[in-house]
Amino acid sequence: MELARILRRASTSSAGAVLIALLAGLLLMAVLAPSLPNALAAFARGAFGTTYAVGASVNRAAVLALVGLGFILAFRANLTNIGGEGQLAMGGMVAAAVALKTDVAGLPFGLAIVLPALAGACAGGLWAGLAGWLRVRRGTNEVISTLLLSFIALWLVYWSVHSDALLRQPRTSATSLPESADIPNGAMIGMLVPPMHQGIVVVILLVALVHLTMTRTVWGMRLQAIGLNAASAKRAGLSIPRLTIGAMLASGALAGLAGAFMIQGEQYNLKAGFSSGYGIDGLVVGLLARGSAPTVLVFALLFGFLRSGGIGMEIGAGVPSAVVLTLQGLVILAVAGMEFLRLRQARSLP
Amino acid sequence: MTDTILVVLAASTIRLAIPLLFAALGELVSEKAGLLNLSLEGMMLAAAFGGALGCFASGSPFVGLVVALACSTLVAGLQGLFSIVLRANQIVSGIGLNIAVLGLTTIGARALFGRDAGFTIPGFGKLAIPGFSDLPFFGPVLFAQSGFVYAAPAVALLMALLLYRTTPGLALRAAGDEPRAVDKSGASIAAIRWLAILVTGLAAGLGGAVYSLADIHTFTENMTSGAGYLALAAVIFGRWRVVGTIVASLVFGAAASLQFQLPALGVDFLPPALLIMMPYVLALLAVSGLVGRQSPPRALALPFHR
Repeated sequence: MELARILRRASTSSAGAVLIALLAGLLLMAVLAPSLPNALAAFARGAFGTTYAVGASVNRAAVLALVGLGFILAFRANLTNIGGEGQLAMGGMVAAAVALKTDVAGLPFGLAIVLPALAGACAGGLWAGLAGWLRVRRGTNEVISTLLLSFIALWLVYWSVHSDALLRQPRTSATSLPESADIPNGAMIGMLVPPMHQGIVVVILLVALVHLTMTRTVWGMRLQAIGLNAASAKRAGLSIPRLTIGAMLASGALAGLAGAFMIQGEQYNLKAGFSSGYGIDGLVVGLLARGSAPTVLVFALLFGFLRSGGIGMEIGAGVPSAVVLTLQGLVILAVAGMEFLRLRQARSLP
Repeated sequence: MTDTILVVLAASTIRLAIPLLFAALGELVSEKAGLLNLSLEGMMLAAAFGGALGCFASGSPFVGLVVALACSTLVAGLQGLFSIVLRANQIVSGIGLNIAVLGLTTIGARALFGRDAGFTIPGFGKLAIPGFSDLPFFGPVLFAQSGFVYAAPAVALLMALLLYRTTPGLALRAAGDEPRAVDKSGASIAAIRWLAILVTGLAAGLGGAVYSLADIHTFTENMTSGAGYLALAAVIFGRWRVVGTIVASLVFGAAASLQFQLPALGVDFLPPALLIMMPYVLALLAVSGLVGRQSPPRALALPFHR
């Protein structure tokens, strides 16, 4: 009896969804790989094999965790922010712009690192806040607006690195790529163990902070109140416009900070499409976490290592890394489908 | 000189607008019934892949077209399973489908066609209409295009008739606005929405097939590269109307073709990125009601519970 109940609960949890998708991914690999053990070994090497592999995976996980945290924070207020990709791009672009175009790099006390990162967070926050404002003032569905804003942000980044007047590096030769110049050394985030940068420490602190904010603060409770029942929250005197915009600002700021980390900790210059795929991965992490900040970190690490493993598998065993992409799609679908089972279970309870 | 550029511009506007038009009209039918399919992108990509696959295997572009429609309808069917049967979150399941389709078509393309992107398939050629294709300006713009272009007005008319001149169309529009009332009247919301999503699948399939069968006779990874999202934006900018959607698709097509012609026109102050992002800006302005009044179906993206 007890076992049956545990099994049933597991089958409708995120872990169950991930497990099902992982099995499907394994099946897909078995079909595609000339030798499954070789492919798995290459996957493990890519994910955990070297310090470099681990560091790259953790850096990726840090970005995904921030986007995921932003997602669950807005979702607390029943706002679906699917524009993490665009907020990430805006954050990275503005962080790069501040690092390159101002004299911030000479500042002492770590301000050279903190100011561009904060500017990036603000940019991401404003980008999402715009969607919040549109929802409050014009009744625009935030799903549609954050999606559209994402595309606009990606092309803004493209524009900024293609225009000499904006962030494009000086053309020293005919082969100068449409990218920004490298940011000054002073603005680069320090390393824990190269290539793993200190961002992950900040991310862990933010996980704790978001967790406490959502569970222990008045603001967190208010977000939940408007999320659960906007009408009664309004009657209780809560300002829905202020809370909506605030939740979107905070949500986007987390994603924007992630963009700054990517530029200041890993890539050091701005390229078009630098954030490609990270926003969606972060969204998936947020969805899987079901509102729990610590769980965000778990799934961020899982996806960070999955991606690196997938790349390792492509190089080492000739299995397309698109297998990992497919697997992610299946995870999302499994989670979406699970909702149905959960609802039905809830209804069938006595 | 300027005349030729204008002809090229107009002709490529039509060529680039057609796939968007098919997909957007299809999506319009779904949205009118209350379904939001972010998987439109996945449907188009699946069709582009299916078209190349069918054509590659059989040597006939017509077989390719059939396989393309089958592939996109399969994705639409899966989206229907999630949106209608499982009552899952339509946005989340749509994104999941897009990612899965992107992964699977990439794997499929590598497995079938190898890693070099050089392979070509027969595909459809341009179909010049005798007598009309020699007309000045209109000839090359309208009457020397692929068969898809000539099919577009017919499809648009068909969609308009379905939505506004038939009984199922009436029920369909009601299902997107007042599903409860439709349910009370004895009609099945599920059946109506299945009809809508299958129409969307077929139309998006036509749009996706254009890419691999008519534009370029090959398949490349992520070939549609966001065309489905652009088509979604066209429905929004078209304010959920047939004529509006057609105009939106043409405007988006013009923006896309203009970015390639700007240098030839001697315009260098306008960054191409601005033109590429313009459709999304216009859609955002439209959906925020800053340009005209918006009227999305009231039950859009809401699962129906009895």
